Amino acid sequence: MPLDNLCGRAAFLFEEIDFDVDQIVGVKNIKLKDPDELAQVAMQGYDPDFAAKVQPGDLLIGNENFGYGHPHYPPMIAMRRLGISGVIAESFSPGYWRGEIAMGFPQVACPGILGLVSRWDELEVDWAQGEVRNHTTGKALPFEPLSDGDRTMLENGGLIGYLHARDEETAE
Amino acid sequence: MGATIAEKILARAAGRERVRAGEEIKARPDFVIAYDFPGYTDVIFRQMKEDFGIDKVIDPERFALFIDHMVPAVTPQEEELHQVTRDWGAEQGVPVYERKGIGHQVAAELGYATPGAFVVHFDGHISQLGTYGALAIGVRRHLLEAFVKERIQIKVPQTTRVDLTGRLRPGVMARDVFHHIVRVLGPSACRFQVLEIGGEALQHISLEGRQTITCLAMFTGAITAIINPDEASLDYALPRARIALDPVSSDPDADYAAVHEIDLSDLEPIVVIPPSPANTRNLSDVAGTEVQVGYLGSCASGRVEDLRMAAEVLRGRQVKPGFQLHVVPTSQEIMRQAAEEGLITDLIASGAFVTSSSCDYCFGRMGVMSAGQRAVSTGTLNVRGRMGSPDSEIFIVNAAAVAASAIEGKIADPRPYL
Repeated sequence: MPLDNLCGRAAFLFEEIDFDVDQIVGVKNIKLKDPDELAQVAMQGYDPDFAAKVQPGDLLIGNENFGYGHPHYPPMIAMRRLGISGVIAESFSPGYWRGEIAMGFPQVACPGILGLVSRWDELEVDWAQGEVRNHTTGKALPFEPLSDGDRTMLENGGLIGYLHARDEETAE
Repeated sequence: MGATIAEKILARAAGRERVRAGEEIKARPDFVIAYDFPGYTDVIFRQMKEDFGIDKVIDPERFALFIDHMVPAVTPQEEELHQVTRDWGAEQGVPVYERKGIGHQVAAELGYATPGAFVVHFDGHISQLGTYGALAIGVRRHLLEAFVKERIQIKVPQTTRVDLTGRLRPGVMARDVFHHIVRVLGPSACRFQVLEIGGEALQHISLEGRQTITCLAMFTGAITAIINPDEASLDYALPRARIALDPVSSDPDADYAAVHEIDLSDLEPIVVIPPSPANTRNLSDVAGTEVQVGYLGSCASGRVEDLRMAAEVLRGRQVKPGFQLHVVPTSQEIMRQAAEEGLITDLIASGAFVTSSSCDYCFGRMGVMSAGQRAVSTGTLNVRGRMGSPDSEIFIVNAAAVAASAIEGKIADPRPYL
């Protein structure tokens, strides 16, 4: 099944290079498991009204090497619960990338994205065209194509679906 | 154009003559390694059966489980997790190594660092098996793939080569070398790549020191690090290798994404300033900063040469009253050797608190700090809250500097003590 385009607003721009995503929920909350609790504590250090402002489908924007450090899963569990549909960043740290793609959470490596986007601009990630379009400004930028493995993983909703899809392979 | 060692290892694991960086292949891991941890192993064991209907892993001799976190258990739930692991290993015919030390180190001792092998783990610090010419990659939850499929899908990574030149000065250690590499290349220079370490300086860096360097590869953005086998690494690794493989090395005309030369001659002891593993500075920049806790241990550091250096600094001296110095040898085998050399006696005599090997001091499960406290540490990481309160701080330094700082109660250059 082809991926649906991501359509939403730029809900937040993380301009810090080498951004450690654990900061989104705060280290003291990193052991929380409940998505609702995580959603309540998310972004308190950045925009305390974030949960009220965000809408389903909105996107996060990141700088270079987004997800550096020892990334944990709770920050993006919180973001998905708030309706965030994906992350577009200048580039990603591999551990973070691998972890979130395995969760079926779209990640888009788009060099130049911070220069393309202001907060709350309306964006679209067009998988077929391979570009991020800013509907607010009319500008667009190509993004780095997903690997076959990563695309299959997203198309199947994450690691479990991907591995089931592999069950259908004829020759192992 | 020749091939890198990473390409050669993945070509063999994929049953192919040749693979090139950028290709997506299906490769059969020679070893699948994990430590038990909630959300990883327990979930994988359950998913394997419930989601995929698989009762047995393929070729269980490829698998190894370690119990090194939450050792010893402090809650019944932790002990239950360990029991699940023991039971699963017994049922599957998979060895479970318990209380032998930190798994990444014990894996090398037990021969899982077979030169030429392709190894996966969920934890990225397994990269240290690259010291012996194995390609060992941490894949987070993708590890499930290795439990339910014989082959895992992987994109053949590019390689960045770093040639180290020059000799380290006294008091400067492999730990400083790694963080200097981050300082020179930046924390994202090797994103999604293999960091291949070479150069004549390696002749003067012990296998233990090389494990320190390769262990921390992730902080350059790399998915692992590797060193082409040499006499020293083969002498260690081949007699204990668990499978018969031909060691491989990069061709002289291999295609690298980048090649860097880094001279170590003038390197000084470094410090990594909290809260990011990217903040490498010279230790002298923060010398004198008050610290209350010292941690010498982890899968990165805590080996015999680290303990030797700490003992040399501390011998005949005393840890400052009130300062907590935790010394946690990386494995029981290392602790045994340190005891034989008299290092443990020296460390205890100077006031160090020496404990059996465990991961627990590194990730804030034991020896935790309260708000406002600061540590000097050879742990893997200095992010907020890693060793206790989110309002405590961790300064990463080499083992000798942990010892010197323990004497002064301040971040201290070890060289005057050597």
